[in-house]
Amino acid sequence: MALPKVFAHNQLRRSPIYRETQKAGAFPEVVNGGAVPMHYGSVESDTLVGARMGIADLSVLPHTGFKGAGTIEWLQGQGLSIGPDSNMAFRQEGGELAARLAPSEIFLIDSLAATGALIQKLNGAWGWGTEKPRKLIGYPMPRQDSHAWFMVTGSAAPEMFAKICGVDLRPHKFKLGQIAQTSLAKMSGIVIRGDLGQVPAYHLLADIASAEYLWGAVLDAMGEFNGRPVGLAALRQLAEG
Amino acid sequence: MKIMNCPLNGPRNISEFVWGGEVKPMPDETKLSDREWAEYVFLENNTAGVVREWWCHVPTSYWFIAERNTITDEIVKTYPASEVFKSRVDFAGAKP
Amino acid sequence: MTAEMNWGGTNRLPNRGALIDRSRPVTFSFEGSLVEGFEGDTIASALCANGQWMISRSFKYHRPRGVLTMIGQDANTLVQIGDEPNCLADKRRIAPGLVVEGQNYFGSFDSDAGRFVEWVSKFLPVGFYYKTFHEKRSSWRFWEPIVRAMAGLGKIDPHAHHGYFDKQYLFADVAVIGGGPAGLAAAAEAAKAGGEVLLIDENPKLGGCLNYARFDESGEAACKADGELLNAVKAAGNIRVMSDAVVTGLFADNWIPVVRGNRFYKLRAKAIVVATGSIEQPAVFRNNDLPGIMLGSAAQRLIHLYGVRPGKRAVILTANDDGYAQAIDLLKIGSAVATVVDLRADPPQTALSKAVARAGITVHAGSAIAEAYHHGNKEHVVGVAVAPVAGEGQLSDPTASYECDLVLMSVGYSPAAHLLLQAGAKFAYSTASHMFEPREIPAGLYAAGSVAGQFNLDQVAAGGRRAGWAAARHAGGTVGAEPAEVSDPGAAQQTHPWPIFPHAKGGEFVDFDEDLKYDDLINGIADGFDNVELLKRYSTVGMGPSQGKHSAVAAVRIVARETGRDLAALTVTTQRPPYTPEKFGHLAGRIFDPERRTAMHHRHLELGAQMMPAGIWWRPAYYGPKAEREKAIREEVNAVRNDVALIDVSTLGGLDVRGPDAAEFLNRMYTFTYAKLAVGKSRYVLMTDQAGVITDDGVACRFSEEHFYVTATTSGVDAVYRSMLQWNAQWRLDVDVANVTAAYAGVNIAGPKSRQVLQRLCQDIDLSAEAFPYLGVREGTVAGIPARLLRVGFVGELGYEIHVPYGYGEALWDAVVEAGQPEGIRPFGVEAQRVLRLEKGHIIVSQDTDGLTNAWEADMPWALAKTKPFFVGGRSTQIMAKMPLLRKLVGFTLDDPALPCPEECHLVIKGGEIVGRVTSAVNSPSLGKVVGMAYVHPADAAPDSKIQIKIDGGRMIEGRVVKLPFYDPEGKRQEM
Repeated sequence: MALPKVFAHNQLRRSPIYRETQKAGAFPEVVNGGAVPMHYGSVESDTLVGARMGIADLSVLPHTGFKGAGTIEWLQGQGLSIGPDSNMAFRQEGGELAARLAPSEIFLIDSLAATGALIQKLNGAWGWGTEKPRKLIGYPMPRQDSHAWFMVTGSAAPEMFAKICGVDLRPHKFKLGQIAQTSLAKMSGIVIRGDLGQVPAYHLLADIASAEYLWGAVLDAMGEFNGRPVGLAALRQLAEG
Repeated sequence: MKIMNCPLNGPRNISEFVWGGEVKPMPDETKLSDREWAEYVFLENNTAGVVREWWCHVPTSYWFIAERNTITDEIVKTYPASEVFKSRVDFAGAKP
Repeated sequence: MTAEMNWGGTNRLPNRGALIDRSRPVTFSFEGSLVEGFEGDTIASALCANGQWMISRSFKYHRPRGVLTMIGQDANTLVQIGDEPNCLADKRRIAPGLVVEGQNYFGSFDSDAGRFVEWVSKFLPVGFYYKTFHEKRSSWRFWEPIVRAMAGLGKIDPHAHHGYFDKQYLFADVAVIGGGPAGLAAAAEAAKAGGEVLLIDENPKLGGCLNYARFDESGEAACKADGELLNAVKAAGNIRVMSDAVVTGLFADNWIPVVRGNRFYKLRAKAIVVATGSIEQPAVFRNNDLPGIMLGSAAQRLIHLYGVRPGKRAVILTANDDGYAQAIDLLKIGSAVATVVDLRADPPQTALSKAVARAGITVHAGSAIAEAYHHGNKEHVVGVAVAPVAGEGQLSDPTASYECDLVLMSVGYSPAAHLLLQAGAKFAYSTASHMFEPREIPAGLYAAGSVAGQFNLDQVAAGGRRAGWAAARHAGGTVGAEPAEVSDPGAAQQTHPWPIFPHAKGGEFVDFDEDLKYDDLINGIADGFDNVELLKRYSTVGMGPSQGKHSAVAAVRIVARETGRDLAALTVTTQRPPYTPEKFGHLAGRIFDPERRTAMHHRHLELGAQMMPAGIWWRPAYYGPKAEREKAIREEVNAVRNDVALIDVSTLGGLDVRGPDAAEFLNRMYTFTYAKLAVGKSRYVLMTDQAGVITDDGVACRFSEEHFYVTATTSGVDAVYRSMLQWNAQWRLDVDVANVTAAYAGVNIAGPKSRQVLQRLCQDIDLSAEAFPYLGVREGTVAGIPARLLRVGFVGELGYEIHVPYGYGEALWDAVVEAGQPEGIRPFGVEAQRVLRLEKGHIIVSQDTDGLTNAWEADMPWALAKTKPFFVGGRSTQIMAKMPLLRKLVGFTLDDPALPCPEECHLVIKGGEIVGRVTSAVNSPSLGKVVGMAYVHPADAAPDSKIQIKIDGGRMIEGRVVKLPFYDPEGKRQEM
């Protein structure tokens, strides 16, 4: 059996649940200055699991946010396409999702390719400026570190969610890109439907400090569907169909 | 469990919300006697009928206003706070 | 017959038993004996099949009891399974190796010593508890051990293991509750509109009464209806069926709890059809509780569902056509029917009654059972006396007696209206049908079948279709033409108005659960409890496990007659959830108990920290074994005072307040002024509510003209954040507030050597006292990590709070610990921090303040701005300034070194009156004496005043008021 060559604790940025994924046998790779589990068993077996019931830890992947007066106009000026509806996520050219949490609030998550290009560009572009009075362009939000990022995948995912969440997330009631900001296993969280190919899949963004609790609660709820952690490689595989 | 319709998030279990008291626009505190001010702070109307209340959707920290019938506990309607509080409030002497 | 064919009990019938699988034998034990049954059997059906008719002993008199309903609606079949008491033996299916025991007996189940209680029953009158304990409290001491030993249901095992229970949400357009003919028809009709239909049934097999009841001589009617209705349900692609699932209540906005196995479903439906059927009612006569006496429907269930012969020779007491159907059922299995006793003076000639007559069975019309007989041990019915009915509840002398081992009661029904009533439906007694009937049903809720007074099979199906149609329409579905309204005149022939026949020798049970006899109710009414709700509480009628399912109607009838009131004006007692008992496990579910951990959480555990909760966070209290708590705290304090130590402050609340109005917003939210605070500086913040009560504190750090980073208390930040948003929803200032508490991990490096440690990690900020003075704030990098640095002085030494993004928190901790090795850096916990801040006289909001503390009481007028026009609580604070102070927070010490350290909330006494309390007190390692804070009388607030503190055991000790802070009063150490 091969052993992992990358260890989360050698990276400056660490997932809040790196100990859990390590215990589960993750093989990580370095992305965005942290270690992301790429696979557990083989990528193929992860992919099979992921099609049925899987959970992936994407917490170290790039994600950020902007909020406040002027946010949407500024981001649109930066080339983002953002629709008019709150609680909808809008796919960008590079596969990133701009999740409109409120009329002037965006939670931006990178694509599974995780290049970080768009997020770096935006983080670099934002500034207080010198104009007086200043043009309002919203404010950056430390979403990379306020929220853990999991992805819950598979045909059993909607039923699993029904065990921890009071919003009906079944695909015929919760459309692609739709967002639910709600209570999950008694904590607040954000669910975004973002199917991988034909496989139902949901981004789950929640309080980073409760990440170990939530990871455990979701795994427990996944138990009856034989769910287990899967790596980023399997998600990419599923996305390709 | 009751359902409340959040103007931002749609219908949700009432357990996702907290109550924020009756909507009571603040009077000009410089024009009130001590007694009048104390009445504003401490006394509630406790209306039997439709009242306007602050409610907050906890997962989004979104405050809005609900009209609720305190006799039947029916939630008559909900709407953004901006429908009531339409413009900036300043206090005497505050910078514009 | 071979031995093999005999498996499953001597009362087992061939070719019957819709629920059992004869290819799967199952063995379990009852009272230590092995019992044979089949998969699908309930405990009760298997016991009956094996001739074990007595299943429990009654609650009060310990009388033998057998099956009554075979559907889990009575308490007669409560048994103990391992550590689980009160299992319904006629619902719980057997499993290999199941160990079942009886309940409520002393010695042995068969010869229970407690059964002699009945002989002294005159000493246990109705209202026993009220009469005995109302006046003489001392009598409880005598009775308690007796009552506790005798009463109660089953045995609780305090060491019982915790089962795995959980919850799940369900969603449907139309929920149909009840899978009998009405429910099946309703579901099929509702499904036509295309929405999601959920059909919930408490039985393992859909069909309800179609599985066991008889509607014609041949039995074909039920089969035909069953086939048609089931096929329609199966054919629809949008009906989900949940069998073995019980709806235990109906709550606001169609919130429906459904219990199945160990899972508690929380169903939300747009519309609901209630097709819960009706509950067959027993007749009241002497010894009507003997094993072998059961409802007619129970016998039919035994025969058709489980293939069990309920008896060899039966007497049927009836008042409707169903009793005749049951006679045919018994004849078909080769049992004898001794007689049919019909309460009706002139029973109508029906196809079924004619068939019974053709079979040569004697029918006693206009008669009742006067008494049931037993062999002296009450273990089984052996015969009955039959007497003509002379008037309502009155019998002439018996005219006949019959030997029998089975008595069926088929005298009427009562709607299973519990769910409808819970949801606010109004029912009223109909003098035509002698049943409660729905009068008003709330919108979105529809009733069908016998719960709605429909009994004729065709009418039931039609009623179901109409309800299903209406529900689908209410749920927003596209429906066809409205089905015609349904009424069933035949319902008037189902239920007898007065199947109650008291006997001179008593023993006529009205409530089997609570062992209440006819006289008990009469005496209760005579005692003055002449209202149904009052009588219920006084006599306990309807308060047992079956919640009046068989006694409520009888009780209402008796009250009406005894008090001369019109039955039509009375109602049954209020129906409350749950419909059937729920386990605590169901309500608890898989307990979700979120907790928050800092990025350094595991480092604390590795260092041997004792963790303590702070809100839902975990924080290190101190590092080291519990046995060495005091030593650990002392050493941690000393490390901060003399060298350098670090504490995880990640849980501290953090709010980014940004925008053109940021300073103005803080001016309004906090008591101080912030407009002129220089960039790169911080200032204390104190928050009061509209009443001027202190609610939180922290510091506001100005990182740019429009950006303040405001800290708040760990437990207070969520409320502070919410309150800020609520205020600004009214003020509409141009400011954005973000709660970034979790996004930032933080440590405070404190102690005289903290600068030299930090210098090794931080190259881009000049850390000198001149360049980065006390109360300064900076942004830079620490160990290559982007950081916000705050020079704050909570512990009163040179120190730096370093706030970094959560993901870097553990790396930061590791870097600081490593950098501090030459200085011997060590971690300190919350306990040491509390000591350090107390030595400095800093308050902790909500420890040193309470729900009434204002800035004057807390002696913090220095934190109140005098020139700004407004802050929340400002007007109230001004008013309180004019009012006499009632108490004041001061520092104190104990001059006598022999005195023990007071504890929090020890009272401060003056002239015999309570004037205040100790809020914090410790043995200060830095000062070598006890220091604390307390609320004292304002007259004693000046330094060197003496205060009296009442400590444990009522002992009074003397403290001396000291000017705060205790330690480093000039504040030189934190400003180094």
